[in-house]
Amino acid sequence: MTDQEPGRVDRVVMRDIRKRYGMVDALRGVTLRVGPGEVVGLVGDNAAGKSTLMKVLAGAVVPDSGEIVFDGRPVAFANPKDARELGIEMVYQDLALCDDIDVAGNLFLGREPRKAGGLMLDVRKMHADARRHLDALNIRIPLTDIPVGGLSGGQRQAVAIARAVTFGPKLLILDEPTAALAVAEVETVLELIKTVSAQGVSVILITHRLQDLFRVCDRLCVMYEGTLRADLDARNTSLERLVSEIVAHDEGEKEGSRR
Amino acid sequence: MTATGTGTSQRVVTTRSARANAHIGRHAQTIAIAVVLVALLIFFAFSADRFATTGNLLNLLRQIAPTLIVATAMTFVISTAGIDLSVGSTVALSGSLLAIVLQHGWSPTVALIAILALGALIGFVNGWFSSYQNIPPFIVTLAMLSIMRGTALRATEGYSTPISGDLWIVQIGQGRIAGVPVPAILAVVVALVGWLVLTRTPFGRYVIGLGSNGESLRRTGVNTRKVGLTVYMLTGVAAAVAGVLIATRLSSGSSNAGSGFELEVITAVVLGGTSLFGGRASMLGTILGALTLGVIANGLVLLHVSPFYVQIVQGAILLLAIFANSKVWAKFGAIRK
Repeated sequence: MTDQEPGRVDRVVMRDIRKRYGMVDALRGVTLRVGPGEVVGLVGDNAAGKSTLMKVLAGAVVPDSGEIVFDGRPVAFANPKDARELGIEMVYQDLALCDDIDVAGNLFLGREPRKAGGLMLDVRKMHADARRHLDALNIRIPLTDIPVGGLSGGQRQAVAIARAVTFGPKLLILDEPTAALAVAEVETVLELIKTVSAQGVSVILITHRLQDLFRVCDRLCVMYEGTLRADLDARNTSLERLVSEIVAHDEGEKEGSRR
Repeated sequence: MTATGTGTSQRVVTTRSARANAHIGRHAQTIAIAVVLVALLIFFAFSADRFATTGNLLNLLRQIAPTLIVATAMTFVISTAGIDLSVGSTVALSGSLLAIVLQHGWSPTVALIAILALGALIGFVNGWFSSYQNIPPFIVTLAMLSIMRGTALRATEGYSTPISGDLWIVQIGQGRIAGVPVPAILAVVVALVGWLVLTRTPFGRYVIGLGSNGESLRRTGVNTRKVGLTVYMLTGVAAAVAGVLIATRLSSGSSNAGSGFELEVITAVVLGGTSLFGGRASMLGTILGALTLGVIANGLVLLHVSPFYVQIVQGAILLLAIFANSKVWAKFGAIRK
């Protein structure tokens, strides 16, 4: 993807990423680009390689070959910390919250505001900051001092996303954020995605709920058996077209959709 | 948006009740154990003549000092969903070795430092196998229980080793400051520091996080293995301190010291409301739990009940406490896994 217009550097470009697990070719040369503030829906059947690709981007999996360019600079991640330092945050499918710790504690887990030379937690600042961040994202959680185990699924997901967003990421990866949510809660999360991308954060959304994709995404990338099968514009793609790409029905359309 | 509106107001309501429930659930067992303790204090004050005297109460504090010190550290271990069964054997080994090296003419200061370092080393071994190698801590510390007890027996050949009363180190177990036994002061300080660390420091937060959802904590970039290792080093050092306290109080290091000690410590922690499944801890509860066990043991002796009953009572209390913890109080909490 060197054909980008001048002045608009892609947030991230993954080029020809390959990953093999023993006999399984998980990724067979995938190329994916995401612009600044863009919401990209990443879809595909189970085992298409979506999660592996995102783990590569989040630094949780090291690819066998391929390159990643972030904000115009080539990068390599050895672990999730490397990716996080560049501003890549991933919200995992299984929420990854500590049920026994309160909302503010979860938001700041691992990065707590400290006082007394870093020895003590600054609990008051933590709750004040948590309140500010939740309000800025329009997340309606009235109390920051209750354990997240007592929250609804949507609120928990919102806390998980808020945690990722709190530290100003440039790219947010959401793995099935709406999978286990009630209808009204899905709305909360979709609104949150719009809020976040409006602030300039690029978002990659993995989901099986195809109707959600058309609500929030700018582009739809379809993966199939370890390759990127199609890169579609969400505004002029029909649900039928998307489904046929996912199940790889129509080989004829493949060429036209390749970027 | 109207649907979202009503949904939100409902959520506010449920959140407020969730907060109330969570707070009651978190503190229910601590409140319960406080009530039990007060009831026991009143009962023994009326039934045992010498119970409610300053002398006896200070003596009681001195008696529970080793339990309270190790229980403070054990609260950290259990909060991570771990367990350390080796503390009783560590008490025996550290007390025995202290007496032996003092007999060999070591300076008490050097001996003390060496014993505490030994405790840290034992904790390191426990923590390395449990936290870095992911072997269940139950098995690791059970094996260490056997190894440490055996080492203590081998080192002493089963005999007690006397500690000379002329050495300053016996003051740790026998001394008094303003009439208060040194072990009691030490125990109170340790418990307070433990409470501060657990509730007010990042480390305490990570201990709770590790027990609540270790994978989540790891993904935020915290070195969870190091946290796991550290808690076992805490119990190791605490058990060595307890061993020193017991040996210097009795002026003798015995390889039979601290048998059943791990049970007493774990009972105190669980009695206080700390969950064996991790994530939920109460240092205040641990203090109350240790006090309750001490009051029962002390009161029963003053009532001339056979001391053999103390163990039976303690075991029964442990069972009841775990039952209450997992079945009764959980209804309030509503957040248990």
